[in-house]
Amino acid sequence: MVHILPPLNPCQTYCPLITAPQPRTDIISTVEFNHTGELLATGDKGGRVVIFQREQESKNQVHRRGEYNVYSTFQSHEPEFDYLKSLEIEEKINKIRWLPQQNAAYFLLSTNDKTVKLWKVSERDKRPEGYNLKDEEGRLRDPATITTLRVPVLRPMDLMVEATPRRVFANAHTYHINSISVNSDYETYMSADDLRINLWNFEITNQSFNIVDIKPANMEELTEVITAAEFHPHHCNTFVYSSSKGTIRLCDMRASALCDRHTKFFEEPEDPSNRSFFSEIISSISDVKFSHSGRYIMTRDYLTVKVWDLNMENRPIETYQVHDYLRSKLCSLYENDCIFDKFECVWNGSDSVIMTGSYNNFFRMFDRNTKRDVTLEASRENSKPRAILKPRKVCVGGKRRKDEISVDSLDFSKKILHTAWHPSENIIAVAATNNLYIFQDKVN
Amino acid sequence: MEFKLEAHRIVSISLGKIYNSRVQRGGIKLHKNLLVSLVLRSARQVYLSDPCPGLYLAGPAGTPAPPPQQPGEPAAGPPAGWGEPPPPAARAAWPEPERPAVPDAPWVGGAEPTATVTGAADAPQGRAADAAEAAWGRVEGPREAAARGAGSPAGGSDAFPEAPQAARRPCACPSGGEDRRGAAAASPGADRRCAPPPSADESPAPPAVCPRKRGAAGVGGGPAGCPAPGSTPLKKPRRNLEEQPGREEDDGAEEMETGNVANLISIFGSSFSGLLRKSSGGGREEEEGEESGPEAAEPGQICCDKPVLRDMNPWSTAIVAF
Repeated sequence: MVHILPPLNPCQTYCPLITAPQPRTDIISTVEFNHTGELLATGDKGGRVVIFQREQESKNQVHRRGEYNVYSTFQSHEPEFDYLKSLEIEEKINKIRWLPQQNAAYFLLSTNDKTVKLWKVSERDKRPEGYNLKDEEGRLRDPATITTLRVPVLRPMDLMVEATPRRVFANAHTYHINSISVNSDYETYMSADDLRINLWNFEITNQSFNIVDIKPANMEELTEVITAAEFHPHHCNTFVYSSSKGTIRLCDMRASALCDRHTKFFEEPEDPSNRSFFSEIISSISDVKFSHSGRYIMTRDYLTVKVWDLNMENRPIETYQVHDYLRSKLCSLYENDCIFDKFECVWNGSDSVIMTGSYNNFFRMFDRNTKRDVTLEASRENSKPRAILKPRKVCVGGKRRKDEISVDSLDFSKKILHTAWHPSENIIAVAATNNLYIFQDKVN
Repeated sequence: MEFKLEAHRIVSISLGKIYNSRVQRGGIKLHKNLLVSLVLRSARQVYLSDPCPGLYLAGPAGTPAPPPQQPGEPAAGPPAGWGEPPPPAARAAWPEPERPAVPDAPWVGGAEPTATVTGAADAPQGRAADAAEAAWGRVEGPREAAARGAGSPAGGSDAFPEAPQAARRPCACPSGGEDRRGAAAASPGADRRCAPPPSADESPAPPAVCPRKRGAAGVGGGPAGCPAPGSTPLKKPRRNLEEQPGREEDDGAEEMETGNVANLISIFGSSFSGLLRKSSGGGREEEEGEESGPEAAEPGQICCDKPVLRDMNPWSTAIVAF
């Protein structure tokens, strides 16, 4: 069964700031399910966050089980200007991370290049009525006219979802923030930029601890930057960060306050036969994710996805080719900047399948057990409700079959950089530029 | 040789990216610029280490990230023209008075007038350009060329007929037609660039193939005193040359890459020097309060240009000159 959602639309109940919709601002820049999978958050280039909620299953409409509808929309970040450096700070949401739910409200972190914000999303379906000092419209009453007292009561009202910023963690990053990760202690989180990683406590906004700093004393000696970072899902002292050189470092915060020295260092030796001008670019890791078990990490570079065992540092245990046919086109991809695209990768709930995006609105899934893989396309034409996605194939030379697509026909402007997988079910969210697609398993 | 070509193209594109990153919203992205600078370094290494000499690689026609096919570039692509022997008429087009300001240096690194390579200019010389290109295949390195000394006009012209018959080495210049012309033209006086191989061919010496002195301003300059028999066709390239705004001249550095730098600078315009000024400590190098000193500019500045430019000494020299 397939659901398609329309392009994002600020139509929802609560929208603190109304902005004129512009095509560019709707480009989705991050997608994330919460810990139960009930909510799906997306951030876009215009600084907005849209949260979808899964409909409760109802006996009446079995086939509409689990549809996601817009739950809340709010403007998380605004464009800012750094006067000191004469720089504009983009409002694009780079990452959203949910906190586990601890009460009726939902909390999420959203970040742009410089500032992390903690948002509280809560529902209001009752409102108090019967104030003594205010009338129904909220105007103050003259106390002299009050002759009786009454107790205000809560009466039901239309559901309203409000999002309020509870914390703003600003001014801690000189470079552009690329990752945030909530610690398993649920009290701290980290934010990583190109050269530094900071550790925050949710309650404290005016201080953070710097736990990784790879900035060289002389910037001219800069050779690598941090590209992604994540906490271990269970061990609150452990985190990993990936670099532009294709390496991953695992750090233990118990070892020292400044985790400049890694505990483990994961690097695969380069294959000299594949050397080209662009070897360094394509080895830069764009995303790193712990498996749910915490035993493996998955990394994405430009052409491959790799799975590493934490116990083996010298090479990955699995390597999957996402779109190796692009290897001969690296120069063109360099020219049109596609080679700098940062694809993300995700695990499914059981860590048996991994998924990542590609071009032409294709995305790929790899089954780690059966070693089978599939290429699917997120497009309106192919995604009628309840239709089944047909596997796609890219023809890499030779005779092209009827429904194959040749490498030269790929549309490189349609790229799937951001995907998310429901934590326990086979429901996936795929962001294709400014459209969000949600697919789920066929249900008999 | 294709590598050198490719390397040059990549260098041009990379510099264009770095330049464009200055105006991108959100400030300069450190990661992307670092990767671009790595590519730049690799390409430069290949470019310098490739033994193939004589590459007056013209930059793209005025665009920072030029497509492989330049618009208005009639002699599109090296392979196109290689098969053609230089027609005598075209050869006659070669002689041209040298630009007075151009220093007399070997390898005056083809400061290709990238933006100047116009279709109009190239059209008449298209075939000659191709021939020149082919001739380039045989042109030797500066040292060897210098060793040979300035060739005679005949010697210079020998390169012409020689080339097409000679094994066409794939180290031709890609675009700038004018480059090719200039490259191929051997200067009677002082041009040591186009030293023809000793086995200069039997073909009759074409009428006064006037070698072309290429300065940073590049094309169209022939050595002084070179007769210009075919004056009519010459006017066109010269006109184009004069039309070029902002054609700066190289200081006659010996190395090829300087000319290319000037070439590339013409793409980016004079504001490129501002690029360098900022990163070299002037302007706004402030960072967060506690950090100061010799650190390179923060992402608001061009963090990576320092390592990039510093590695490319001739480049930065030329850039600073502007």
